[in-house]
Amino acid sequence: MTLRFLRNKVVEVETHSEGILVVSWQLTDDLQKAEVNLLFQLPQLEILEAKASIDRFVPQSCQSASELIKKVEGISVGSGMRKIVAGLLGGPDGCSLLEEAVLESANAVILNFTRPGIEIAESMTDDDEKLKLFQEMVKSSPRLVRSCISFQDDSPIMKELNL
Amino acid sequence: MITFSRSQVIGAEFLDNGTVRFNGIQEDHIYGMEVQMEVRIADGEILNVKGDMKRYTNFVCPQAIPVLQTAVGLSLLEAGWDKKIMREIGRKGCEHFAEIIIECGRCLKQAVQSKSLHDALAKDPALDQKQFLIDNLKPA
Repeated sequence: MTLRFLRNKVVEVETHSEGILVVSWQLTDDLQKAEVNLLFQLPQLEILEAKASIDRFVPQSCQSASELIKKVEGISVGSGMRKIVAGLLGGPDGCSLLEEAVLESANAVILNFTRPGIEIAESMTDDDEKLKLFQEMVKSSPRLVRSCISFQDDSPIMKELNL
Repeated sequence: MITFSRSQVIGAEFLDNGTVRFNGIQEDHIYGMEVQMEVRIADGEILNVKGDMKRYTNFVCPQAIPVLQTAVGLSLLEAGWDKKIMREIGRKGCEHFAEIIIECGRCLKQAVQSKSLHDALAKDPALDQKQFLIDNLKPA
């Protein structure tokens, strides 16, 4: 059966020198084409620069996307970011597409820093060592606690951690 | 160089006038997941769902596959549906399955709009597409 709708989304994190991460977020589907580019400054992960463009059938609330996106300049990735971005870009008169783009870009930045730890775990052959590594990851990243089935209280990874 | 990249692809098939089937794929440097689900267009209710976990990080992750069935019966049109999916499928199961379902949910209205426009263009190839969407549909 042929598709009546197809959406492709890509988010990329590029590590530049001088503590800068460049995140490119792109969406294209039958009705919309959007691009958001964000520059994050380490170590606070503050958004230094934000640019956006939306094409094809642009929702009324997103007509001024290139100006709206500037509202997120100065905010940082961290706890409370979801609420801050919702306040700046979301709501009934907001542009939900830009809100999603910023939050997904921030999530990609976090996963960018998660990747090396996962690669270390992959290189381990001893299951007990692996388990200890995941337990150390949870201890050093409290946001992981109860974030998914792996880090629920009854998971083997969480046993004896009392977090 | 690129140090992290994620791609999402969502396709929508209309099985009949009342049902749409979404196929969602999410691939990134860490995870590889796929979800297929059927949704009733009228009320956005998820009628069935199945998922495949192709790449994941630890031995507990596959236990999230049965949790996907919690999504059956949830509506993608009710207020706060995305938070509910993240809570029920993401936190209690796998966040990345939840991300795919949420993206499928975001595509529901768009897919219906796209089909309506496609059907209208079949009847009138000279149709003003932008005006059609403004007049007949509310873009998300």
